[in-house]
Amino acid sequence: QQIQEDLNKQLLDNLVSFLRRSHSEFQGKTTEWTCRMKSREIPTAALVLGVNVTDHDLTFRNLSEALQNNVTPYIALLEAKDCPGIKNLMQKLMGQLMNCSTDVVSLEDEDYVQVSQNRIRCSMKSLVDWYDSVTKKTDSETLSKKRTSSSKHQQSPPVVVIFKDMESFTTKVLQDFIVISSQHIHELPLVLIFGIATSPMIIHSLLPHSVSSLLCIELFQSLSCKEHLSTIIDKLLLTSRFPFKLGEKVLQVLINIFLYHDFSVWNFIKGFQLCIVEHFYSEPLSVLCCQLADAKKRVNSLSHDQCENIRRLPSFRSIILNFGNAFKVTMVTVHVQDQETTQKLLEDLHVYHENYVSVLRCLHVFTCSLPKYPLGKQIRELHCACLENRVWETEDYESSLQLARMLNKSDLETMLQQCVEILVSSSGNKFDKAVEKLKEFLTQFQKLEAEAFQEQDVSVSSQKELQKKTDLYHLQKTLLELKDSRRSKKLTKFEMLRFEVVDYIDSLVRNYLVPADHKTLHEIVYFNTASVLRGHLNAAPRIALHTALNNPYSYLKNQALKSDGRSISNKAPDICIVYKLHLECGRLINLVDWLEAFSTVVTAVEGPNADAASSDQVDDIIHARFIRAVSELELLGFIKPSKQKTDHVARLTWGGC
Amino acid sequence: PAKKNKENKMSNLVEEYFEAHSSSKVLTSDRTLQKLRRRRLSQQTLHDLLKKAPLAYAAEIKELNQLHESLFSKWLLQLHLGFNIVLYGLGSKRDLLEKFRTSLLQDSVHLVVNGYFPSITVRSILNSITEEVLDHIGTFRSPLDQLDFITERFKEDSSLELYVLIHNLDSQMLRGERTQQILAQLSSLPSIYLIASVDHINAPLMWDQAKLSLYNWLWYETTTFSPYVEETSYENSLLVQQSGSLALSSLTHVLRSLTLNARGIFRLLAQYQLENKDNPSYPGLSFQDFYQQCREAFLVNSDLTLRAQLTEFRDHKLIRTKRGADGVEYLLIPVDDSTLTDFLEKEDEDV
Repeated sequence: QQIQEDLNKQLLDNLVSFLRRSHSEFQGKTTEWTCRMKSREIPTAALVLGVNVTDHDLTFRNLSEALQNNVTPYIALLEAKDCPGIKNLMQKLMGQLMNCSTDVVSLEDEDYVQVSQNRIRCSMKSLVDWYDSVTKKTDSETLSKKRTSSSKHQQSPPVVVIFKDMESFTTKVLQDFIVISSQHIHELPLVLIFGIATSPMIIHSLLPHSVSSLLCIELFQSLSCKEHLSTIIDKLLLTSRFPFKLGEKVLQVLINIFLYHDFSVWNFIKGFQLCIVEHFYSEPLSVLCCQLADAKKRVNSLSHDQCENIRRLPSFRSIILNFGNAFKVTMVTVHVQDQETTQKLLEDLHVYHENYVSVLRCLHVFTCSLPKYPLGKQIRELHCACLENRVWETEDYESSLQLARMLNKSDLETMLQQCVEILVSSSGNKFDKAVEKLKEFLTQFQKLEAEAFQEQDVSVSSQKELQKKTDLYHLQKTLLELKDSRRSKKLTKFEMLRFEVVDYIDSLVRNYLVPADHKTLHEIVYFNTASVLRGHLNAAPRIALHTALNNPYSYLKNQALKSDGRSISNKAPDICIVYKLHLECGRLINLVDWLEAFSTVVTAVEGPNADAASSDQVDDIIHARFIRAVSELELLGFIKPSKQKTDHVARLTWGGC
Repeated sequence: PAKKNKENKMSNLVEEYFEAHSSSKVLTSDRTLQKLRRRRLSQQTLHDLLKKAPLAYAAEIKELNQLHESLFSKWLLQLHLGFNIVLYGLGSKRDLLEKFRTSLLQDSVHLVVNGYFPSITVRSILNSITEEVLDHIGTFRSPLDQLDFITERFKEDSSLELYVLIHNLDSQMLRGERTQQILAQLSSLPSIYLIASVDHINAPLMWDQAKLSLYNWLWYETTTFSPYVEETSYENSLLVQQSGSLALSSLTHVLRSLTLNARGIFRLLAQYQLENKDNPSYPGLSFQDFYQQCREAFLVNSDLTLRAQLTEFRDHKLIRTKRGADGVEYLLIPVDDSTLTDFLEKEDEDV
């Protein structure tokens, strides 16, 4: 648990710092802009943030921090849910501004008390007469406060008001606030910042012309959430810093939730966190999922049972099968040797990861610029493909190699340059050879350049010849010659080299991008149970209810409940019978008929042993059971009482589900 | 082919929807429960009867529950890691949560909210937090203020921890938007751990993205198949005598305590209403006519006494007055005709 919390924290810290960095540029622009603005209208910044509302909290927090540090101590952050009316808005605004100023200026205690008293008094008065006297008063109070405290400051800093979610504010409140504040813009330099989730059009649809003409709006676009995602995947998954890895299916699930459901980076992180929790909770060997040095220490202190667990891992078994017999015996029995091999295997795994990442990046450099992107545009798609299977066996890989063989020289050169950089920066020392090889390629290319120029000259001259001689016969002849020369050119040095390079990359891929499933002991660091994750994050309560009602056998393992699904089994629980009967009806259901059908089905079970004397009693019990089942269906939301006809209920679902 | 299948299924679903809602004419038989010769069961008798009926598949259900109970320690871990847990699936999850509470939360501060209770409000939840957990006496102007106060306190004092168990988060009283907003904000506090259960098929419609991220749910399927005893005991089913409309027993109870004349007045009205039951445009008996009839039967002697009498009836919801188009007051008994017939028959027997 301890490790896991550490890991969690590390992860989140990393993430937050990254997000901060990605916002900083954007914020920098905004802050600069807020400094600059001085005009008669209210300066307004409209931030277009995208639909992933959940991620915006952090953005705003960072923004207000940045503003606080650089521009002004007066920042108020307003949320729509706090401001149903202009009164609440003013109160909230005052409260926040006063808190801000007390924080920054650090007034005397008495002053602070006075300020808070002021606030209460204002709110009381505003209850009585909210618009005419008090909002003006609060305004004038803000103004006076401004004057007093700004005398301490050198220049008058602007007061920034951030509206977090522009869309959910009521129009009236927003308009009133803007109109009021525009009257005081001379004494109180206000700056508004709107957080917009949809598009800047919303400003014009929310505010009428008379109000929006009071604003001087500038638009700012934030990074799209997809870019965030790819950077996060880059930082979190494609590094060797974090020992914990995601399996292909799990990653796919997370990405799917992101792309098809909510676009929320925060939810992605949450899912990732859940993966970590699940992994460390369910895998007994996950204690070894840490940095290599720590892992080695832990291997030494493994208990016997844990070693047994290692031996039981499927990936470990396959390795035993591949080894010789004598070795196998010692492995199975001897504890110490086991530890040694485990250490060695862990090391292998670690090295594999390091190599994997850099080679993956190299391959990405090659594939991301190909037309039609056979292996995907983003590195995450490539990553998934590599994890899923042996990537070189897929058709997509084949076609992308084919395309790579047709690359022109300058592209190839830049790509190689990038690859060299990546490999040099990677910590794995195994790449010395590869780097050398690639550098050699590069120098060869540079040598080729001279020859290439010559070739160009040749072709240019032949072109000139073409232009000169207009004779048809000669033309044909030269064309044929040109063709010949081209054919022979096919085996120029450049092309040879190109083939060589591509083949080399291919060999690299084959060596290093073996999917993780084929590695020994991969269970320790890979989390692979996607179904658990999907169940917890993306649950489908309706499906669960449907299967439970339709086919109770899937939950209650009783032989009597086995049925083919279509027919109504009379041994099923009451609610299932009632549910199936209700499926056969249309929009309205007659309760009497329903009851009768139910009792027919149920008495078929009890028929043999029911006596005539107690039939009345049985009837009552059946009636009671029916009532219970129907009210349960009502609670579940399948039916509701209808006033359309007496003793009828309306169905709220349709079809067979 | 699988995709095509899916598409087919999709279009089938759409068609089924329109099929179900196309014709406003409903083809069902006209039989009503009244014609069924069986008395309506009261809540109590229903309860007794159900006790007699054996629960089917008790062993299997027990097995299922044990499966869920094995997850308890995992829940606790996940709650501590900042997730909140929501349980869904068929069957009452009340016993399961109770078991979770008794087995793991005995020593810690916890709050149980019975969402199915019909008069629960978000304010009562917040009150129980501020009063019992935080020992704060005092009132708040609005739930939002109260929430702010709670947030403040929990942030100040990191040693405070609170488990909140909500049965039926999707019940009638709690499914409102504002309520959910407040609960979501509450659950987003790191030292408040929330476990809730939902039953309604459309429960997830309550939450938008912002709320979902505040709740930070982990979904757990816990199908228990156990009957919803507590949950449905508040649900006014059609088949049980409804407390909303007047039942025969309560009618007789009230009338027994009245004077003879008052009973006669009610009888007169009831008879008149039954005579006109086949007339759909029957607006009720106008006050003037009624006064005339009562006078003739020597039941009242002045306009004032009849009015006093009627006020009494109205207080007990025995009658309803309606003003007609011509401004005349009409009197109606808001009880269905069959109950009224039963009532009159019984009265005759008594006399």
